[in-house]
Amino acid sequence: MSVIERTTEADASAGEAPAGPVSGKRDLPNTALTVWGVLVFAFLFLPILVIVVYSFNNGRLLAAWDSFGFDAYVNGLSNKVIRGAISTSLQAAAGSAIVSTIIGTLGGIALARAKIRAKWALGLTLLLSFTLVTPEIVDAIALLPWFVTLGVDAGVSPLNNGMVRLVIAHSVVSMAVVTFIIRARMAGLDQSLEEAAADLYATPWRRFRDITLPMAGPGILAGALMSFTLSLDNTIVSSFVQQPGFTPWPVYIFSSLRVALRPEIAAVSTLMFILTLVALGVVAYVLRKVGESSTDIVKAMTGS
Amino acid sequence: MKTLRQRIFGPAALSFPTWAYLLFFFIIPVALVIWYSFGYKPDQFTTYATDQLSFDRYAEAADPTFLSTFVATLRISVVGTLLCLVIAVPFAYWLAVKVPARRRGLMLALVLVPFWTNFLVRTLGWQVILSPEGFVSHFMQFAGMIDGPLAVLYTRTAVQIGVVYNYLPLMILPLFVAMDRAGVSLREASNDLGAGRWRTLFQVTLPMAAPGIASGCLLVYIPLMGDYITASVLGGAQGSMVGQLVAAQFNAAQNWALGAAMAVVLMLLILATVAIVGAVVLVLQRIIRAGRRVEIVPVNATTAPVNATTAPVNATTVGEQP
Repeated sequence: MSVIERTTEADASAGEAPAGPVSGKRDLPNTALTVWGVLVFAFLFLPILVIVVYSFNNGRLLAAWDSFGFDAYVNGLSNKVIRGAISTSLQAAAGSAIVSTIIGTLGGIALARAKIRAKWALGLTLLLSFTLVTPEIVDAIALLPWFVTLGVDAGVSPLNNGMVRLVIAHSVVSMAVVTFIIRARMAGLDQSLEEAAADLYATPWRRFRDITLPMAGPGILAGALMSFTLSLDNTIVSSFVQQPGFTPWPVYIFSSLRVALRPEIAAVSTLMFILTLVALGVVAYVLRKVGESSTDIVKAMTGS
Repeated sequence: MKTLRQRIFGPAALSFPTWAYLLFFFIIPVALVIWYSFGYKPDQFTTYATDQLSFDRYAEAADPTFLSTFVATLRISVVGTLLCLVIAVPFAYWLAVKVPARRRGLMLALVLVPFWTNFLVRTLGWQVILSPEGFVSHFMQFAGMIDGPLAVLYTRTAVQIGVVYNYLPLMILPLFVAMDRAGVSLREASNDLGAGRWRTLFQVTLPMAAPGIASGCLLVYIPLMGDYITASVLGGAQGSMVGQLVAAQFNAAQNWALGAAMAVVLMLLILATVAIVGAVVLVLQRIIRAGRRVEIVPVNATTAPVNATTAPVNATTVGEQP
């Protein structure tokens, strides 16, 4: 017991090596590691910091610093096109999160409960993995003609709606991630509760609603947040399937690359960044309430 | 006999919506792309025709100008994946092993933040940083490090920096999760058994992280090959990637058959690289495992299995130690 306590303390304070001949040599590598860690964090945050700083640029062009001020925020928020793009993005993200979370939850539970070596489970895993390795540009060029074929040529009118197209396209991209998050979550839990419920004459539906779904809860939450953010991020597929009046925010930025980048883009991006932070914080808080460790939260949120 | 209810709530039935959705919005459209790739562009106003099928579009896609973009994309992706690995291994090790447990959550959250920030916006940040009129350029000229304005933006170097930056969190996170799995107790056991810090690193921590290294490389390499946003923002004419070629064929040239052929080649290239690397790793594992067994077994039979599993990772990660 004392050994464990001692080394955990050592681990928490300075490094992993317990007292012994090695401990004298630990300074240089440990310092190098810490310096490396700080450098990587600086690298990770540098461009974000730059965008936040440049959102206070009062000039006409993003990259050319003029003077400090809040013009970009005022202009950005009063710009109708930008507000429309943000609203399109948020709606598409919510829609895609709902669709991919519902279908992905069913699929993830199914995969976690499949018999070992069930052929359909192997096939579904392969299919989902295939959607993951498919480059977005391929999804994009595949979905655009398909939407046109179904919507315009075959007359399936909902597919002519820009929002429906965005929701479908985004949910196809994120469905595999959600399914795998839920599967990972369910695979770690044992089935005895469900079996007990069945023994107590719970109907399959009640068993699903009262036992399975609550157990999958944290995974569902993480999956929904993941697909929401993937949708907010989606540029390539969106730029192909988008229709007039339904331009999502990243596509707006992407198309303004060709004209001129203005500080409004940085200002609105900073606001979106704050929104993402808040959403992340809320989900992390909920997961922690459910009793997940920080490592599990990361695993859940990244689908690994 | 199963009742209807049991069938409806059985796992296979629960997966039905996923099958249906992906069949309708993934399999069929992608199959159509493959179908288009065998067609041709009949005239200026039609995007494709498939009444005559041939491999001619693939021959066109192998044109030297396109081919050089394929080679450049492959190089940017491979170099990018390796750079991410080199940067992430010491970082993930530091995070999982050296950072005190109570501060680890905060650090992880800090890694997640860039990961959740809009990809395009982060890349724009690099455009500002690397721009010839940007503050970095001014500073470097002021400090006498360069003569003229910084000439990195709109080159392949800029694209390389951008992709390493954009995909780094995708390498860090699985590596961290894997190294964290080789928890304190295992490292202590290794210490108690007389292994020094380096031996523990190479024979306990890194081998435990091997699956994380594999999944991290896949998570970085696959989207990187298909990415063209980074190249569009930072690359200019010199640093173009395959995705831009495909998009140009669909949007500007309106030649869907050729664009589809390029897209199919891109997918095959991704699958082929992953398959080749996987095969090489498997063969190396076998060879090293066989070598180890002969060497270790006579000394101490009980340590052999442990060493056998650790060996392959040793060989593949030696270069990335901190």
